[in-house]
Amino acid sequence: MAHPVLMDDLRSSVRAFLRSYDFTPAVDAWHAGWDEDFTRALAARGWVGMTIPEEYGGAGRTFLERFAVTEELLAAGAPVSAHWIADRQTAPSLLAYGTEEQKREFLPAIARGECFFAIGMSEPDSGSDLASVRTAAERTDGGWLLTGTKVWTTGAHRAHAFLVLARTAPHDPSARHAGLSQFIVDLRAPGVTIRPIVTMGGEHHFNEVALTDVFVPDDRLLGRVGDGWRQVTSELGYERSGPERFLSTLPLLNEAAAATRRGELPKHPDLGRHIARVAGLRHMSQGVARSLQDGEPADVEAALVKVLGTTLEGDIVEFADQLGMAAPILTTAQLRRAGFTLRGGTNEILRGVIARGLGLR
Amino acid sequence: MTVDPALQDMLTSVFSDHDPASPIGSLWKKLGSLGLARLTTPAGRGGSGAGWDEAAALLRTAASHGVPVPLPENDLLANWLLTEADLPSDESIRTACVLDETGTARSVPWAGDADRITLLWAAEDGWRTADVPASSLRIERAANLAGEPRDTVHAPLDATSGTRVGGHVAEEFMLRGALARALQMTGAMDGILRLSIDHATTRTQFGRPLAGFQAVQHLIADMAAEAALAKAATDAVLRDGLTPFNVAVARSCAGHATTTVVRNAHQVHGAIGTTAEHPLHRYTLPALAWRAEFGSLHHWDEHLSQAALSTDQDIWHLINDL
Repeated sequence: MAHPVLMDDLRSSVRAFLRSYDFTPAVDAWHAGWDEDFTRALAARGWVGMTIPEEYGGAGRTFLERFAVTEELLAAGAPVSAHWIADRQTAPSLLAYGTEEQKREFLPAIARGECFFAIGMSEPDSGSDLASVRTAAERTDGGWLLTGTKVWTTGAHRAHAFLVLARTAPHDPSARHAGLSQFIVDLRAPGVTIRPIVTMGGEHHFNEVALTDVFVPDDRLLGRVGDGWRQVTSELGYERSGPERFLSTLPLLNEAAAATRRGELPKHPDLGRHIARVAGLRHMSQGVARSLQDGEPADVEAALVKVLGTTLEGDIVEFADQLGMAAPILTTAQLRRAGFTLRGGTNEILRGVIARGLGLR
Repeated sequence: MTVDPALQDMLTSVFSDHDPASPIGSLWKKLGSLGLARLTTPAGRGGSGAGWDEAAALLRTAASHGVPVPLPENDLLANWLLTEADLPSDESIRTACVLDETGTARSVPWAGDADRITLLWAAEDGWRTADVPASSLRIERAANLAGEPRDTVHAPLDATSGTRVGGHVAEEFMLRGALARALQMTGAMDGILRLSIDHATTRTQFGRPLAGFQAVQHLIADMAAEAALAKAATDAVLRDGLTPFNVAVARSCAGHATTTVVRNAHQVHGAIGTTAEHPLHRYTLPALAWRAEFGSLHHWDEHLSQAALSTDQDIWHLINDL
């Protein structure tokens, strides 16, 4: 485990940087706060791709050090979404399953804050039931032809590439998780059509990405043919347990506390309850980060963090609204709230994961 | 938070062997002979000289087996006060309490069953403590929701001059008691979760175990999530220190977790869980009773609200003070 004093130094450096950089604290800024200048400023300090080894252009830091930095950025509501997916899950996947050439091609660019990734998992007919994906990869000369449609692809209109989960063998009802593979797909390649999915708040972060005979060369297969399911589920530990699963609305809770101090909102003990839960959840989430660092499975623990944390994010929105707060940050949070307990696996799916871990199913 | 596996095995065996319905006399003797009755009391004072991690394992294991026993009172409160005041200790069963200005303390745990009571009160010149035989005090017996002794103690303050102790002692007494109850609550929640999983996987209705119903799975998953949060928040006090903020976080998380865990457990168990015969109440009632002791849930939530409102720091810096 990293030395606690070192972590304090690291946290202090991040706080000092955040004080010096001009940005407006926002809710949900890891999902919606796309600011490539901010990303490059972070990268210049070694805070993007922190866990990428130095030989691949990263900072060679531990997961717990990355945890400390990301916590500080999220708590401040800083605009980190440009590099978020690449930093959180693409880089670990490339390190785990990528070829030497793929690592050299993508990891240094990710760490420089110049290469952004999106996620290509969900499809119009495959939401929670990910194993039912239909995007097909057909063998062709020197590679694969991909055809299908991916949805909820955050940032596809700005990112460079995405990791696509596709069928490389026909669906077999007796082995639902077999026959899937992962591909690194250039979002500007011929045959890729990106259409915005506008949210009820009028915002454009999500996209539908249609693939029509998109040629993917052999050297852009990630990992092994048929191993896609195992590979994507190992990504989910990173995707589900991090501080973005309970800090998305902390800037709103801060605003509510400040407004209460100013006498604009009534005092309510739920303020304390929410503070306690944020504090407790960071201990749980840190526990998962430690497990991931030690290479231990943490699916159930990650599911526990995400169920509690995303519920808390929504409860904070309700809290501010019920107190009578009126502020743009609350409106934004209300328009995003419904997504908190859906993205990255709905809380109902996660309760199923927990129930399986408890031996109930 | 980990302890020596051999210690954990010993704790599990001691409390599994005990019949919760039988009197605690023989159990107390056993705890004494194993060095568990005064686990954190310094070795030079007749204790085992262990720390909070070991105490946490002891309290959680007792609570997760539904065994009521005055371990926090004897070791973490009374013997701690004796150490602070440099007063002699022995194998007597002790409890401790804070007297008001009339010499009265209410809801004193186990006072009627203790050999001696360690008293703490505010004198004109500061805090004082005295260790007296229970027989020298007037004690009115009462009980908490779980039937554990919570008695009223009347002490003749003018007859006791007491020993001066530091000004920090009164606040630390409260924090130690509050943390002990949080640890016991997490132990009880472990027991409740175990009983609920057992029941859901063995009780069959509509031709399948209750666990086959998604609605039941989700009730139990939510219990597990809340219990895990409570455990993480109490473990954090052991690791990061017995500060008012850390204890308030633990008590808030454990207190709200108790709501979900107790409600859902009874819902999963159905009517049988409400009977005297079924063991569930030996866990659910103490969890609720402990939540109300050493500060109500509202008290701890309010403590954190005030902490946020009485500073210009943002909440994150309050939570994560460098």
